[in-house]
Amino acid sequence: MHEEIQEGKTLGPLVKHITQEKINLYAEASGDFNPIHVDESFAARTPLGGTIAHGMLSLAYVSEMMTSAFGRGWLSGGRLRAKFRESARPGDTLAISGRVNCIGKEDDVSYANCGFECCNQKDEVIVTGEATVKLLDDSR
Amino acid sequence: MPDRPVSYEELTPGYKFPPATYELSASFVSKYSKAVDGADAGFVPPLAITACAIAAMAKSVPLPSGTIAIHASQELEFLGLVPVGAVIECHIGVAQKIARGKMSMLVLELEIFDKGRGRIQSGRAAIALPA
Repeated sequence: MHEEIQEGKTLGPLVKHITQEKINLYAEASGDFNPIHVDESFAARTPLGGTIAHGMLSLAYVSEMMTSAFGRGWLSGGRLRAKFRESARPGDTLAISGRVNCIGKEDDVSYANCGFECCNQKDEVIVTGEATVKLLDDSR
Repeated sequence: MPDRPVSYEELTPGYKFPPATYELSASFVSKYSKAVDGADAGFVPPLAITACAIAAMAKSVPLPSGTIAIHASQELEFLGLVPVGAVIECHIGVAQKIARGKMSMLVLELEIFDKGRGRIQSGRAAIALPA
């Protein structure tokens, strides 16, 4: 896979469908039961107008895409900066994609700098960010 | 650090919450993987570890009742693969507290340790809430 990582390489897209059931499962797994995620009647009375997915659920999909592209280089040496711009909601279909912007070297180790985004079916940007990945022999 | 739980108003940069400990059991990893449509890879997905830290953060930060807090941004660095069954300790501190107009932003620093192996993850989370 080493030689496949080049500047301009596209990552993804990974497509995920958000449901209230998935949000509830994530709440149970993570222990984050904030009512804005799991209490539909509470959330309906807030300015958000309904439940929203945990930001970390969308970010988990980004990590899945990065793991698929970079393997252990991501899992043990990855860095990311993400902004949650809009909320993902039940019924949304998310497309997670990215691009290798540049490849650099630091202390004899090669790194890939990538941009990523997660958009819903209306092309609204839910999450954007940048990631840096150490390029290991099993990831390039 | 006071013995009683602090209020949101008392949180200031430099404040450290008591560390939270989690066991990354096979059942936890399986439940997490199912929730994120992930495959069982034989180790703990790094975002599952972050999820523990975020949950610890959500439980620790004393938000005023009825406040809707929104996760605004997240920075993370993954420092090593973590085996299933590891016990981790999440250290959370206040890095910044900013009030801007009708909104307030709380920036928290996260450091996560695999007991016996050292630091495995670090990062920052920004939480937006009404001022």
